[in-house]
Amino acid sequence: MQQIQRYGYILFIAVMAILPNLLNSRWQAVAITFLIFTIVALSQDIVLGKCGMFNMGQALFFGMGAYATAILNSTYGWPILATIPVAILVPALFGVLLAGPIVHLRGDYLLVTTIGFNIVFVQVVQNNLGGITGGPNGIFGLDSLSLFGTTFLSQLSVYYFAFAILLATLWIMHNLDASRAGRALHYLREDQLAAESIGINSRFYKIFAFALSAGIAGMAGTVYATQYSAVSPEGFNFIQSVLFFSIVIVGGSSVPGILIGVFVMFVLPEIFREFATWRFFIFGFAMILAMVLRPRGIWPARFGRIPKFLIKESNHGT
Amino acid sequence: MDIFLQQLANGLTIGSMFALVALGYTMVYGVMRLINFAHGDMVAAAAFVGLTVYTQIMGEATSLGAVIMIFLLTAIVMACIGVVLERLAYRPLRTAPRLSAVVSALGASLMIQNGIMLVWGPQMRIFPELVPQVYWNLGNVVISLIQVVILLLSLVLMVALYLFIEKTRMGAAIRASSIDQDAARLMGINVNRVIALIFIIGSSLGAVGGLFIGLYYRGITFNMGWQYGLYAFVAAIIGGIGNIPGAMLGGMLLGLFNAFIAGYISSTWADAFTFILLIAILVIRPTGILGERVAEKV
Repeated sequence: MQQIQRYGYILFIAVMAILPNLLNSRWQAVAITFLIFTIVALSQDIVLGKCGMFNMGQALFFGMGAYATAILNSTYGWPILATIPVAILVPALFGVLLAGPIVHLRGDYLLVTTIGFNIVFVQVVQNNLGGITGGPNGIFGLDSLSLFGTTFLSQLSVYYFAFAILLATLWIMHNLDASRAGRALHYLREDQLAAESIGINSRFYKIFAFALSAGIAGMAGTVYATQYSAVSPEGFNFIQSVLFFSIVIVGGSSVPGILIGVFVMFVLPEIFREFATWRFFIFGFAMILAMVLRPRGIWPARFGRIPKFLIKESNHGT
Repeated sequence: MDIFLQQLANGLTIGSMFALVALGYTMVYGVMRLINFAHGDMVAAAAFVGLTVYTQIMGEATSLGAVIMIFLLTAIVMACIGVVLERLAYRPLRTAPRLSAVVSALGASLMIQNGIMLVWGPQMRIFPELVPQVYWNLGNVVISLIQVVILLLSLVLMVALYLFIEKTRMGAAIRASSIDQDAARLMGINVNRVIALIFIIGSSLGAVGGLFIGLYYRGITFNMGWQYGLYAFVAAIIGGIGNIPGAMLGGMLLGLFNAFIAGYISSTWADAFTFILLIAILVIRPTGILGERVAEKV
């Protein structure tokens, strides 16, 4: 199984590297969207899947990164690539500041506060607080990608930009699983009390998870702003957070599961355009069906190399 | 002072609608520990069902008897949908991981919301004028008959629910199930029946709330459930989720808070202030105003 999964990754990366050259520009745009939302869903998985904290406000950090890029580019004239560090650091900093007072809350309360943060963010952006967010229309007319004086106008360059960030995200997630921090998060999800009793600083690691997840989502925001060369409040609504949340849980908080989830949510509707009005009705039905038939997700994550007979059927989070 | 009194009247009206909807959230959460995200959309659906009952079955009659029939029929339809929803989407997940049930609820919410859109269309519909437009001027404060009807009927329903929960055997079964389902089952309580009953009561109160929203705001849209649902849910948490008087108190407080924000600051900031209030309450007193501190089981 481990072997198959490894070959699967190599195959996936190889296919995604060649894919855009075979597509026309409309499908290239769909492929870029797929990459962006995969990055955000993976970042959501760090907090929700790996650490078991009910976060339903991921669009907030995604939007913060996108707005950071848009404001720096359109108002201050920074090149897109130069805005990346800011688009990572600002959401990460807000991740720490917002998560700080709330990480001790129990599951559902945490969920509601993160919804709250998301809604407050959208309203602040819509009402143009401080006069820099462009109000309900957002900010448009961003520059194209440029590096060392060369400007890349083609959509293909945006694709590879997104792809590079996805690879970086997958690399971070892979290293996280094998690291001290990743084990701590996993343990916190399984049993917080036991984790604390062997000396894991739950507060530190939970805030760390929020910051890391926010930073990655912010990076995805930069790509989003580049692709549409615009940002507007609707793109980072609470409903977007609901979709990311559902993708992670329906997918089973594993990388293959999340890829399937993002594909179903964002690529299938492009293929079946004639059913556009039925889209969310069918999604809703599919979400119920997936959960009833496979309560642990369509592709449940496994951690480490624990022999099967040792795994207790524990609840995913509490 | 005039603004204060006017917003007090408006706030109590909005608050009683929030309270009716919040009761549905809090009762389900109390017994099943599940945030029923579909409840807000059930409320929206009730307004549309009421509209159809009015035009198709009642032949657009607005006599007192017809209005009562509209309320009753809508409540019955929504109660049936609530029971079916619980049976198909929540019961199979009762022993599953918590988040699976949450996603199932979100799925149900999307289904109901977009089901409304497919049946009644995406455009705003105008709710009929079931209560005559009568206004009283008390000084500079205007109070309408609709406001009085909403407030009084909500109070009657809430008092009736409170008495039902506190004084009857079935109410005791609900309270017992919300404290400990397994123990309740061992005492011979049919927990499945209790949960079905909760969905019946919650959905019909939500249906009344949805009709009130239609009567008060007139314009109804398929996606309004998210908005009112979230507010009512916030109200349930402010009062202490799982606690029935808490939901009533939370609804009234949130309604007043919203009305004063709209009156003194600006309604464009209402959402932000509501959620800042919620976050502040959760940080200071995580169990809400009337909620009891529950020790976590180890």
